[in-house]
Amino acid sequence: MPKTSIKTKNLSKIYDNKTVVSNVSINLPYGGIFGVLGKNGAGKTTFLAMLMGLITPSEGEIFIFDKSLKFHKYEILKNINFQSPYIDLPKKITVMQNLIFYARLYDVIDTKKKILKLSEDLFITDLLDNIYGTLSSGQKTRVNLCKALLNDPKLLLLDEPTASLDVSTSEFIRKYIKSFQKKNNSTILITSHNLEEIEKLCSHIILLEKGKIKFDGKKNELFKQNKSFSLKDIFLKDDK
Amino acid sequence: MINRILALLIRYKNISFGSFPRLLSIFYWPTVQILFWGFFTNFFMSNGSFGIWSTLNIILSAVVLWDVLFRGQLGLTMSFFEELWSRNLPNLFITPLRDIEMVYGLILISFLRTLIGITPAVFFANYFFDFHLFELGLYLIFLFLNLIIFGWSIGFIVSGLVLRYGQAFEELAWAIIFIILPFSCVYYPLGSLPNIVQDIALFLPTVHIFETMRLILIENKIVLHNVFIIIFLNLFYLILSILFFLKMIFIARKKGLLFNQGE
Repeated sequence: MPKTSIKTKNLSKIYDNKTVVSNVSINLPYGGIFGVLGKNGAGKTTFLAMLMGLITPSEGEIFIFDKSLKFHKYEILKNINFQSPYIDLPKKITVMQNLIFYARLYDVIDTKKKILKLSEDLFITDLLDNIYGTLSSGQKTRVNLCKALLNDPKLLLLDEPTASLDVSTSEFIRKYIKSFQKKNNSTILITSHNLEEIEKLCSHIILLEKGKIKFDGKKNELFKQNKSFSLKDIFLKDDK
Repeated sequence: MINRILALLIRYKNISFGSFPRLLSIFYWPTVQILFWGFFTNFFMSNGSFGIWSTLNIILSAVVLWDVLFRGQLGLTMSFFEELWSRNLPNLFITPLRDIEMVYGLILISFLRTLIGITPAVFFANYFFDFHLFELGLYLIFLFLNLIIFGWSIGFIVSGLVLRYGQAFEELAWAIIFIILPFSCVYYPLGSLPNIVQDIALFLPTVHIFETMRLILIENKIVLHNVFIIIFLNLFYLILSILFFLKMIFIARKKGLLFNQGE
């Protein structure tokens, strides 16, 4: 088993002289649920995108499972997946066709069995024959999560995993993410504006502010440091 | 690798041919064109304006072959645009799919879409006008392949530009073919163009392809020199366009553009 899941060294991203991520160095152990927090424009999405190879860093290095992303990209990508409400699947084909396509890209063995199992778990079996474009945003979120779990990712990146979901479905998804992590000993990195959600799911928090790390450590340490009992308090204090 | 390319091909097939209206949109235009030109030429021939028997064959061959180029380019760009329109690019690029595998997938679906688009047109032309595209014999395969390859070259350039500079460039996907149409000498010989334009037009493989087509249909001969020029120009443009497309993906990663595309 690798020692670290994500390790970055002085990671920076600069667009046209504007620094979006600045000198971020983190070292996350293998296994666990980690939260990335920050206000709008803090650099969360850019940071996540760099971890998946979607954005090339301006400076610094990324190591996933102790391997350099630059030199072992495709080997690493087999074991990563991502879900975001801001990214879609082709709208004109069915949910099943979309899922089969991604299962093939990840070389999933026994594709249909895997899809049916995940569909049952996520209560989307009835949607499999529906055209993806006709789904509600809540249904799309669950289908996208299903897509993100097809390859049993060792590293799962979730961007607002419960956006547009009602309270009970959100709770179900959170429980599912937790049980998935336990069962597979995966590393899950979550960004969310739902502070309560991060509090419930994550033991370790990375706080980004204007592209820089403001805090990186255990959730309890963050509370201690800020003399607060919730992330909401910390954010509100910050605003004042 | 083959598994991933096949996955792409099947997915593009599902998107392209998944419903009757979408399938119809692929083949209605070549069919309408061939019928239009066929009836138009029939009228001229019956009025004695053109006496030679091969006029119809020359025009209809040009129509069908020009559409091979158009379908080839459109099949490639539209398949790529589907990824942009559905905001699906990030999902694709975080899989183990390599950029070059995407290139192969786009080429294969374009080939399939072109074949399906052209077949009804050839059938109708044969039925209504006694037109036999297959009179071109084995040369037909050569002309078909070279036209579709040039279509891919244009398709990769347009796709790369849209990826890099945004959807304002999408219009190019429809317009670019009609911009090069007058210089490609599809319906008239190279000599019909002004001298200065001729010099520029010679850099288009389409000019040599349609000159070759006319030579085969009228004189039943082929000039080897032309064949080499067609192959050389096409390979040159195809390699250049694929490199350009790959470079645009590289720049898109650098500028964070893969996240910001969509309807």
